[in-house]
Amino acid sequence: MARDDDARRREQGKFHALLVATGAIGLVIVGALVGGVVLLSGTVSTAATKQHFLLTHRLLDAGLHFSVRESADDIEAPPLDDPALVGRGLACYDQHCAQCHGAPGVAPGAAALGMLPIPTSLAHSAREWRAEWLYYVTRKGVRMTGMPAWEYRLSDTDLWATVAFLKVLPTLSPADYAARSAGATACGQRETLPSSATEAVGPTLLRQYACHSCHVIEGVVGPETYAGPPLRDWARRAYIAGVLPNTRENLERWIRDPQQVSPGTLMPDLDVPAEHARAMARYLFSHAPPVDAPKGPT
Amino acid sequence: MNAPGIQSALHPATGSGAALISELTAALFVGGAVLFLLVMGLLVRAVFSQEKRVDARRWVLWGGVVLPVAVLTVLLLYALAVGGALADVNSRGPLRFVLDCISSGARALAAPFGTERPVRIEVTGKQWWWEVRYWGPGTGVTGVPLANELRLPAGQPVELLLESADVIHSFWVPALAGKVDMIPGRVNRLVLRASAPGVHRGQCAEYCGGQHALMALYVVVVPEPEFRAWLQQQARPATAPADPFLALGRDSFMRGECAECHTIRGTSARGARGPDLTHVGSRLSLAAGVLGNHEGTMAGWIAGAQDLKHGNHMPSTREFTGVELRALSAWLSSLE
Amino acid sequence: MSRRRAFGAMAASIAAVGCGAVDPPRVPGGNAERGRATIERLECGACHVIPGVRGVRSHVGPPLDHFRQRAYLAGRFANTPEVLVRWLVDPPRMKPDTAMPAVGLTETEARDIAAYLYGLE
Repeated sequence: MARDDDARRREQGKFHALLVATGAIGLVIVGALVGGVVLLSGTVSTAATKQHFLLTHRLLDAGLHFSVRESADDIEAPPLDDPALVGRGLACYDQHCAQCHGAPGVAPGAAALGMLPIPTSLAHSAREWRAEWLYYVTRKGVRMTGMPAWEYRLSDTDLWATVAFLKVLPTLSPADYAARSAGATACGQRETLPSSATEAVGPTLLRQYACHSCHVIEGVVGPETYAGPPLRDWARRAYIAGVLPNTRENLERWIRDPQQVSPGTLMPDLDVPAEHARAMARYLFSHAPPVDAPKGPT
Repeated sequence: MNAPGIQSALHPATGSGAALISELTAALFVGGAVLFLLVMGLLVRAVFSQEKRVDARRWVLWGGVVLPVAVLTVLLLYALAVGGALADVNSRGPLRFVLDCISSGARALAAPFGTERPVRIEVTGKQWWWEVRYWGPGTGVTGVPLANELRLPAGQPVELLLESADVIHSFWVPALAGKVDMIPGRVNRLVLRASAPGVHRGQCAEYCGGQHALMALYVVVVPEPEFRAWLQQQARPATAPADPFLALGRDSFMRGECAECHTIRGTSARGARGPDLTHVGSRLSLAAGVLGNHEGTMAGWIAGAQDLKHGNHMPSTREFTGVELRALSAWLSSLE
Repeated sequence: MSRRRAFGAMAASIAAVGCGAVDPPRVPGGNAERGRATIERLECGACHVIPGVRGVRSHVGPPLDHFRQRAYLAGRFANTPEVLVRWLVDPPRMKPDTAMPAVGLTETEARDIAAYLYGLE
């Protein structure tokens, strides 16, 4: 008798497990179908004029906070009270940040108005966020927003200088800001690669210089755009822009000054420093390496 | 560029060795078919016949001994005659070959050159191209070097001396003759003849490495006066270009690494690793039958040799700007 | 800024790939099938990788896939039928330092080739 009961219980247990599994799989399939229908129907609005639901906004905001907090965990801020550093940061802020975030008494520029999400007033963020978090966001940018990464355009010193200035920003009146920005020196440009750059910096640089806004590039996820020719199998190509023999040195030359190589070309001058151009050229050549002719009978 | 049948043993050139082979093939096929039908007919008769008694010994004697011996003897003599006719430079077919043998005995076989010394062509197989040197009246003491193409006079036999500089290759122009191997250390002999003008394509028929499949050549049969004129032209060195754009091409060639491997008679380029380019513009193809020959393909070959024929001994050059490449292609194409 | 560009590019690519929202440009007098035969006969593949064309292919020049979607020709000119036909007939006349030679195309052959290339979606 007991054995029969056991068997029945085992049967029931198996049946329940099967039910749960089927239910879970069914839920996943239904969820995918519903998602697919929603996506393909185009009913989800992408208009920047339509605001998020409050819950959506809160979730995205919280997500940003948690992510930045986690990612900036191992960053240590240097001392940020040097007036020279702050002054340098002001120059960078004025040149790069004010156009979207505004400044005391200065409205954000035309590009920022009408953005979703809106670039926050940094006078607020500087008070609420830690220096390390501000540094991380400035350096790495925030995807799916208008906040670009400055990692490859500003040196580490300039990034921290900007953060140093941000900490001072909430204390400035409009008159203060106007006076100090009038005499500010220009912000520098990064000439070298960040110390944390790995061998795989090539694709990152190609994206940071927006190469993939015109070119399909092997190993880079981006729009399938054919404004420029695709950059696949690069090492096999014989010519750059149809005029210059395709070697690493010539490719660096092309990236840094396209108009000089091919006057009238549509490829713009992106003010690329030599070290960045070298890293990008090295990456492009690492795909489909050319085969040299053998030296003797094979 | 390639007409149907240009490389087909089933479309042999008239008057060629391939035509004899094709006739032999047809004879064997038809004969075999007849015998097959005969045997099948006997089989059917055996199965369905009402007669139950057959004289077995008679059938075996006549059908199993006499018939095969007769047929095979005729075939053997015919095949031997075809073989002799293929090898004999003077031959005008297997029947004449047999008659010549009968009338002049062994001397017919021992005097392969007959009354007129034929044009001799040395063809050396190299990975993966054909080095050619013509010997004959008007070729001088060094012969006329070219590459990757043969021209033959219509109606006249030509003797090929086949060698190899590295591994075993095989010379095969299906519409003209059978395959003959090119073995390093040996000289093999092949007689080519065709009675009418035409273009025929051949290919290496012995695996010789990575680009064996792209080792081809064209054999162009032309009327005899045209052949003489062509050979004379091929013997001449290249003339200096008058046009400044072509001169830029020539200068680019000399400045670059091209002269390390290629010879262009009439210039200081004396490289011996690659084909002689003195009259490269006159050839039907580039890269041993891989590409047609015009300025576009010439430029593509120079800049993309490794892409087009991977592993071959010509590098994809990265030395020339766009203008220089075009000038170089134009100049080489002008070397006719 | 980057978001706007990303959305714009995404929209363009979806339109181009999915919905056939943009018609290929018409090349008056050009026959695409004849164009493909011409490309094979002249072995344009000696320098270019061209989808749908048999024979040799190399990377001397840029690949010509998705040709209809290419915004520019030779990095300098708008990709329109009339410009393309002129380019095919005599590239050095439009861009003196180009590596692409004039191979002696007639106007009709150039139109046919252009018609084929614009069919490469």
